[in-house]
Amino acid sequence: MERLKKLAVILELADKLKKKGSWCGETHLQKTLYFLQEMAKVPTGYEYILYKHGPFSFDFRDEISSLISDRMMKLTPQPYPFGPSLETTEVSENFRSKFKVTLNKYCCSINFLTEKLADEGVASLERLSTALYVFLKYSNPDQKVQAQKIVDLKPHVSFEKALAAVQELESIRRQYDQVCNSEM
Amino acid sequence: MAKSLHEIRDPIHVFIKMDSHERKVVDSRPFQRLRHIHQLALTNLVYPGATHRRFEHSLGVMELAGRVFDKITDPHNVTDEVRGLLPNLNDDDERRYWRKVVRMAALCHDIGHLPFSHAAEKELLPDGVDHEEITKSLILSGVMTEIFDGMNPPVRPSDVAKLAVGQKHYPDEKFTDWETILSEIIVGDVFGVDRMDYLLRDSYHAGVAYGRFDHYRLIDTLKILTKPDDNLGNEGSVEPYLGVEEGGLQSAEALLLARYFMFSQVYLHPVRRIYDIHLKDFLKSYLPGGNFDIDIEKHLKMTDNEVLTAIYSASRNSSAEGHSHAKTIVERAHYKLVYQKNPNDQAQNPEAALAVFRSLGKIFGQENVRVDTYSKAGGNFDFPVLNNDRRVVSSLTVSTTLNGVPPLGSDYVFIRSDLREDAQRWLDINLTAALKIEEEE
Repeated sequence: MERLKKLAVILELADKLKKKGSWCGETHLQKTLYFLQEMAKVPTGYEYILYKHGPFSFDFRDEISSLISDRMMKLTPQPYPFGPSLETTEVSENFRSKFKVTLNKYCCSINFLTEKLADEGVASLERLSTALYVFLKYSNPDQKVQAQKIVDLKPHVSFEKALAAVQELESIRRQYDQVCNSEM
Repeated sequence: MAKSLHEIRDPIHVFIKMDSHERKVVDSRPFQRLRHIHQLALTNLVYPGATHRRFEHSLGVMELAGRVFDKITDPHNVTDEVRGLLPNLNDDDERRYWRKVVRMAALCHDIGHLPFSHAAEKELLPDGVDHEEITKSLILSGVMTEIFDGMNPPVRPSDVAKLAVGQKHYPDEKFTDWETILSEIIVGDVFGVDRMDYLLRDSYHAGVAYGRFDHYRLIDTLKILTKPDDNLGNEGSVEPYLGVEEGGLQSAEALLLARYFMFSQVYLHPVRRIYDIHLKDFLKSYLPGGNFDIDIEKHLKMTDNEVLTAIYSASRNSSAEGHSHAKTIVERAHYKLVYQKNPNDQAQNPEAALAVFRSLGKIFGQENVRVDTYSKAGGNFDFPVLNNDRRVVSSLTVSTTLNGVPPLGSDYVFIRSDLREDAQRWLDINLTAALKIEEEE
């Protein structure tokens, strides 16, 4: 996907996350984009690695920084003890309006994922996105095996929480197929 | 009797100390090569004092890495919770081993650098290869493993390689929490000693004050922390992080501001940036196939000296490959800045510089126009802070300064100097049209 189209998708994603009640810190955006790219197959093309707190893209982090620098996004301080939120600006609305075709194409995926993930906290997003990473990388259908793999990769996550994340991921994937893939 | 402890004078850290095993790494071919790699490429054409090399920077990184390791693993500075998460902290032999690994990784973290450091890296290496990849190969090569094997206790080269380049450049390798913390000491986004040393050292040699900060205080307040659940029902994380005590927050702020100012004033100086481009243009013509050879032996033989010799030679020979680029560098006849990004233009088109570059290229000839875009995160400024009331909080909740550090970025368009006035006149009339983004259909 061309870079300007990618930027429009990211801005739309951030905007919808925020409108659906997400605190929308950098972690929220990182993990939701990971789902959009790897599960919904929206071809944004950022390289994710398993890092501290789950899948993380350094390229995407730099892109967020560019968007702030270009005044398409801004950091808004939140009351103590929360970190700042990422919010889109009026400038970004004008920019996004040039890419209606692209945004329409991915509208279902963006709506579905922001609906599903907006309420998740940081720790929960970390587990869910790690569950997706494990699902995609190791492709073992047994949920307990997947949960154990999460624990192997992230020993501070309990097996119970890992298994719950694997089950929630399975539910999200199933619903996504029904809602978005059936539209295609 | 032979000395077992060696000292090297250093303008930043006064003395850098090492034992005889570490000295063997310093004396190795890959490390001695760094005496001939400028830390800041051709920056000395703008800041004449900036002629220092990767050699002394790497020694400085080793010195600081040892200091940070000692501080954060000091039993008096480790909480019971962290001790439970990182068993290596409880074993003196393990601590001694990993101290050595950290120092060796710090010492070797730059041995894969190409001539002129970062200046020409991206487009002069095969796809998917960067200097970190070459660093890994060198650390794991026979020339270095022999030295690591001879240490007491022997150091595993794979441990050194992991810590030297970090998880970002080892995506398929599993890093334990302990290895992650130790690699953060060297290459970490916030408290990495690579950054600490280059800011202090580059600032000193360039003759600018912007890179200074109180690294003594900062290192003294570093601590391994975890982020507990807060009292609002938000789940925390027990994954250990490198953070600071509240008393070190201002030093951390100063470090991150120093980085911002050094990038703005030195690293992203437009004249420095255009010389990187002229150098890259020359190397594209000069190198066989337009790429550096990543064979280890050939890498070890290629330094700034070979490239500078070639530049001077080509500048005097009109039939030599890269003659015009070499002449531009030698005669200091660089292309001049004709456009740089600004917030208004970026709001119209986030790729404003690229759009201007394409338009000017069509009018004035692509060979006469160059574009330089650089955009990096302001870094991840979210790190744990241990408050005086013993609560751990995010740095972003207690520091308005960190929330206000602008992201780094510069987009420049350059043009041959005799065309600049015409180009500027053209832009006065046509800039709006050049920036326009057509609506998708």
